[in-house]
Amino acid sequence: MEKKDIIQSFKDSLFTGLIALALFGPIVGLRTSSKGEGLFITPQWGVVFLLVGLCILGRFLINLNSARKTEITFFSKFTSKFSAITEDKAKHFAITAILFAVVFPFLPFTDRYFMDVAIMILTYIMLGWGLNIVVGLAGLLDLGYVAFYAVGAYSYALIATTFGWSFWICLPLAGVFAAFFGILLGFPVLRLRGDYLAIVTLGFGEIIRIILINWYEVTNGPDGITGIPRPSFFGLPFKRSPDEGETSFHLFFNLEYSTMHRIIFLYYLILVLALITNYFTLKIRKLPVGRAWEALREDEIACKSLGVNPTNTKLTAFAIGAMFGGFAGSFFATRQAFISPESFTFIESAIIVAIVVLGGMGSQTGVVLASIFLIGITEMFRDLEQYRMIAFGGAMVLIMVFKPKGILANRKPTILMHGDKK
Amino acid sequence: MSNLLSVENLTMKFGGLTAIDDLSFDAKNNQITSIIGPNGAGKTTVFNCLTGFYKPTNGQMFLHKEDSKISLRKYTDFKIAYVAKVARTFQNIRLFPAMSVLENLLVAQHNELMVASGYSLFGLLNLKTYRDKEQLAVDKAKYWLDIIGLTHRADDNAGDLPYGDQRKLEIVRAMCIEPRLLCLDEPAAGLNPKESAELNKLLKFIKTEKQTGILLIEHDMSVVMGISDHVVVLNYGKKIFEGTADQTKNSKEVIEAYLGVDE
Repeated sequence: MEKKDIIQSFKDSLFTGLIALALFGPIVGLRTSSKGEGLFITPQWGVVFLLVGLCILGRFLINLNSARKTEITFFSKFTSKFSAITEDKAKHFAITAILFAVVFPFLPFTDRYFMDVAIMILTYIMLGWGLNIVVGLAGLLDLGYVAFYAVGAYSYALIATTFGWSFWICLPLAGVFAAFFGILLGFPVLRLRGDYLAIVTLGFGEIIRIILINWYEVTNGPDGITGIPRPSFFGLPFKRSPDEGETSFHLFFNLEYSTMHRIIFLYYLILVLALITNYFTLKIRKLPVGRAWEALREDEIACKSLGVNPTNTKLTAFAIGAMFGGFAGSFFATRQAFISPESFTFIESAIIVAIVVLGGMGSQTGVVLASIFLIGITEMFRDLEQYRMIAFGGAMVLIMVFKPKGILANRKPTILMHGDKK
Repeated sequence: MSNLLSVENLTMKFGGLTAIDDLSFDAKNNQITSIIGPNGAGKTTVFNCLTGFYKPTNGQMFLHKEDSKISLRKYTDFKIAYVAKVARTFQNIRLFPAMSVLENLLVAQHNELMVASGYSLFGLLNLKTYRDKEQLAVDKAKYWLDIIGLTHRADDNAGDLPYGDQRKLEIVRAMCIEPRLLCLDEPAAGLNPKESAELNKLLKFIKTEKQTGILLIEHDMSVVMGISDHVVVLNYGKKIFEGTADQTKNSKEVIEAYLGVDE
């Protein structure tokens, strides 16, 4: 490297330091503290200089690295290798992942906490797969997906607590209700695209939440619904001491009672639901309606000129996406046994959209990786309390910097004329 | 040769601007009818009226079907292609760039495949009836790809094709809906002489082998004069001349419209 380059990159890093100083100076440097009656400012210049110094050094190292003019830096090497593995051997990867998911509850290190996190990740994977139909395939940016999750959860909770029907009847009903709401949302927004659609769907998500809060007679308002029935194992409840004339799971199989039974059952339940979502999406993508969704994403005017009915095509995407959101919602309700509007805020929609977009629009495996990455990282830093959202943001920034098109951005054609060449 | 399309007193106004002024012309089956004119003459507006993108202010457009005739005004949006079987291509290519060439041609057969897949139900069950129909659709796509010589690229993304191939692909994609009238909006724009010659060949093939009339907007006179059976010349929304290619070449009005009048 030439001397000129070094001076240039040194100047550049000093400039970075200047920006860092402007940012950290007021935010970190001036700390307010209350002593006695008044509020005082305590300067923390030491910390500021440390942070600024780190920024200068970091920038300088990055400059040195890029000045070497070797294209493959550590990160891109890592990520390209990573995507090469997942793209070439997508099938092997999927089978391994499913096998791992199946044996996961019985691995030696798996405890209650891991199971809870795994159930949460699987719920987000399922929601991601459901939203992938709307956002990834049909290209309709839906920022109110959580509304369908809420509709599913509330319809399950209300039907189950009112009529006492079993989980397996309420689940499809919740899906149907959510699909109906999907169509309800779909109609007014048919003509909208892009930013405008995003804003209307965002509003729809809020409307549903506010209705849930205010319709006290039905939804019990902010207090939520309690005592939602737990799912049973084909009629066998997970109870320590079953009611008169009833056999519970551990008695039937002659096991010692453990709360883990129910957790493991819930885990397999969401795993199966998620896999059904995935199977369905993979199948329907290869059908005419799936191709029409993708065509609509690519060019709506061209679609019309070829006689594709955009109204029906969009509505099916909304309805099917919403249906899976509803399924996930009823799972959520039965797992928590308590739901309130608090669980269905905009941040949930944002996380699901983030999972779909960062995973790579339309990529099923990408959704899995993004869910594990985003939810897993946020969970790992749970001890940091509110600062864990920084980890979430950091994970998003990392994906955006190194994989701007999403973790897996490659799209495979739905049908091949010449067969697989590889 | 039977009449395919008759446009009668078509008028299109945008506010105070009259884009098309009382235009009438006919197009025949198995013929290429070209609409030419200087920039802003209203050629694309005629297409947008015919293909349901605009609703004309006044006038009628009829598509003749054996003995009956259907009014194109009744159909808007996607129904023009679906029911009336009028297909079109666009001035700026509108393929589905991130989808493969074959998928582009299958989307064009969406409505038949949708019925064959039992609105997705048979397809999800993977019934043989659907798989057979899908194979037929693929065969049809292959037939057209063989004609334009793109079969070897069937599995590549449409957006990765060279410009000339994209033009041809858009035309055969429109042909996959088996249209009675094919409207081509400047298909030769941006093509080199060799590609234009290939385009001429393709259009002549469609004209002679298929039951399709072609309506063509074009600036490239080598294409227009080479293949047109009938030429309609527009200027400021009005028809100023109508006749065969040779008659058009020697028409005083047309030369004046393009080159201006001697003072």
